[in-house]
Amino acid sequence: MTKAQTSSLRLRDVLSILFIISIGVAFSIYVVQYPQDRIVERFISYSKIINAILQHLYIVAISSALALLTSVPLGIILTRPRFKKYSTKVLTVVNIGQTIPSLAIVALFVGFLGIGSKTAILALWIYSLLPILNNTLVGILSVEPSVIEAARGMGMPTKRILYKIELPLALPIIIAGIRTAVTINIGTAILAAFVGGGGLGDLIISGNNVSRWQILMLGATLPALMAILADIVFGVVERRTII
Amino acid sequence: MIRFEKVVKKYNYQDKAAVDNLDLHINKGEICMLVGPSGCGKTTTMKMINKLIKATTGKIYINEMDIEKVDPIKLRLDIGYVIQDTGLFPHMTIAENIATVPMEKGWDRNKIRHRVDELLELMELDPEIYRDKKPKDLSGGQRQRVGVARALAADPPIMLMDEPFGALDPITRGKLQDEFLRLQEKIGKTIVFVTHDMDEAIKMGDKIAVMRDGKLVQFGTPNEILSNPADEFVSELIGGNGSLKIMNLIKCKDIMRSIPNIDVDNSVDEAMKLLLKLGVRNILVTDKGQGLLGYVNYDSLANHKATLKELLKPIGETVTPKTTLQDTLSKMFSLGRKTVFVSGSRGRVDGIITMDDLLKAVSDNDQSSDIIA
Ligand SMILES: Nc1ncnc2c1ncn2[C@@H]1O[C@H](COP(=O)(O)OP(=O)(O)O)[C@@H](O)[C@H]1O
Ligand SMILES: [Mg+2]
Repeated sequence: MTKAQTSSLRLRDVLSILFIISIGVAFSIYVVQYPQDRIVERFISYSKIINAILQHLYIVAISSALALLTSVPLGIILTRPRFKKYSTKVLTVVNIGQTIPSLAIVALFVGFLGIGSKTAILALWIYSLLPILNNTLVGILSVEPSVIEAARGMGMPTKRILYKIELPLALPIIIAGIRTAVTINIGTAILAAFVGGGGLGDLIISGNNVSRWQILMLGATLPALMAILADIVFGVVERRTII
Repeated sequence: MIRFEKVVKKYNYQDKAAVDNLDLHINKGEICMLVGPSGCGKTTTMKMINKLIKATTGKIYINEMDIEKVDPIKLRLDIGYVIQDTGLFPHMTIAENIATVPMEKGWDRNKIRHRVDELLELMELDPEIYRDKKPKDLSGGQRQRVGVARALAADPPIMLMDEPFGALDPITRGKLQDEFLRLQEKIGKTIVFVTHDMDEAIKMGDKIAVMRDGKLVQFGTPNEILSNPADEFVSELIGGNGSLKIMNLIKCKDIMRSIPNIDVDNSVDEAMKLLLKLGVRNILVTDKGQGLLGYVNYDSLANHKATLKELLKPIGETVTPKTTLQDTLSKMFSLGRKTVFVSGSRGRVDGIITMDDLLKAVSDNDQSSDIIA
C-alpha cells in the first residue's frame, strides 16, 4: 500500500468519526433545546445524557478490559504445546457459546447476583470473552509453523518466541476480536438498564414509560452511533498492526 | 567435529525407527550432504544435532562434547539453521531478521548494525535497498539468501541446512548453489546439508551420506559414491551417466599436466631433445620480448625439418583451472581440438589437458564403466 493511499484512508476515517459524532451531538441538542412538551423537558437534560453515556462507557470499558485480561492469557495457555490438543475443542465450545442470546446471559446473572451494574458488567464480560478468546486462538495457531521452527532452531527461548514472534503476528487478529467484543458490548450494555445498571438503556426505559419518542430514540441512537464509532477506531488500529 | 554414535530415533515406541542405529562422523570445515528419498530420516537426523529432536538412544558429540549435557538454547545459538520455507519472521525487517541471533546473544547495537550490512553485502543484497524491507517484498531467491545470512549472523562454526534451495526454480537454485560454494571457500563452516536431490549432493558435498529407511547406506566423497555405488539403491539415486557426473566433479587443476617452455631461438632438435627428456608431447614456445608465442607438439617436430617459428601453433581458446572436465570436454568439441590449454590469471598458461587425460580421469574413477575402455 502506498503512502498516499494510507493517508487518504486515514482522512476518510477522520471524516467518518467527525460525522458520526456530529449526528449524535446534533440529535442530543435537538432533543434538549426543542422539547416537545414539559414532560420531555423534565426528563431530559445535557447532564442526564452525559451521565448516561459515561455510565454506558464505564460498563463497556470494564467488561471489555476484563474480557481482554482473561481471554488473551487463556488463549496463550491453550496454544502451548501441553494444552494445544484441547484448543480445537475449546474453539467449538466457544463458538456454541457465542450463539446464546445476550439477554439470556444477563437474566441468568440476575438470578444469583441480583440487580446493579456489577451484574451487567459480569454478564458482558462473559459474553465478550468469547470473540477475544476465539481470535487469540486462531491468531496464534495461524502463525506459520516454519517461522516458529526457525526461531526455535536459532536458539530463541520459548517465552521470547511468544513475545517476539507469536503475539506480534497474531495481534491484528486479536485486535479484530477486541473490535467485535467492544462493538457488541456497546449494544448489549443497553440491557444494563433493565437490571438497574444504568447507561443509555435508561433513556429507552424513561422514553418508553412517558411515551415520548425523542427520549426513546436518543437512547437507541446514541449506543448505535457509539458502536459504529468503536468499529471505525478499532478498524484503524487493526489495519495499522497488519504487516 | 560432529559424531553420531549408534543413534536411534523412534517417534512412537511401537514404530519402526525413523533413524536406525546411525554412525556418522562429520569433519570440521566439510559440507556433509544427507541424501535420500523423502521420509528416509534426513531431517530427523539433522534436527537431533541441535536438539530440536531428542535421540531415543545413542550419543551425538560436537567437538567431543556429548550434546546431552549442553543446554539446548546455548547449543542452538552456536549452530546456524536454515530451512526450506526460510522461516523468516514476516513482521520484522530484513535487518531485524538477520539480527536475531546477535540480539539473543546480546551484542551491542553498533556491532549488530555493521554485521547485518556486512552479511547483506556478502549475500549480494544492497544494504541500502534491502535492510528495511520486509520478507514479503523479496523474491524467493532473495529470501533464501536472507535465510542464509541470518544463520551466519553470529558466525557459528556449524550450519544445519534442510533443503535450503529446494523450493527455488532450477536457475535460481543453481545460482545460489554456486554462490554458496564460493562463500564456503571463504568461511569454511562445518555444514550438514539435507537434500533429496543426488545431483545437488554431488555438486555441493565434500562428503555424502546416503540414507534409506533411517539407515546409512553409504558414506563417502562424491567421487567414491559415483565410482563405487554401494548397491542398486545408490546407483538408482545417482541415475544414469555416472561417468559424466564424475566429469562434473573434477576440475582442470586436478588433472592438468604442467607444460615446459622453450625459447623460439632454439633449434627444432633442441626442442625435440627437451620433449624426450621430460617425456611430454607439447611444449610452449616463448620469446624474450613478446612472451608466449604459441606451442609446438611432438608430431610436428618429428615430421619436419624447419625452424621452431615455422612450426608454431596458436594457443587458441583456453579453459581455467576451475573449469570442470565436462565443460572442458564441451570446449574441445566446440573447438574441434584434442588438446586445450589451461590458463590462470593474466593469460598465463598453467598447463594442458588432452582428450586422453579426460578419458583417463573418468575411467580411473569408474571401474564399472566400459564405455571408456
Ligand atoms: N514429528 C514426527 N512424529 C512422528 N513421525 C515423524 C515425525 N517427523 C518425522 N516422522 C517420520 O519419521 C520418518 C523420517 O522423517 P524425516 O526425517 O522428516 O524424513 P526426510 O527429512 O528424509 O524426508 C518419516 O517416516 C516420518 O513420517
Ligand atoms: Mg525432510
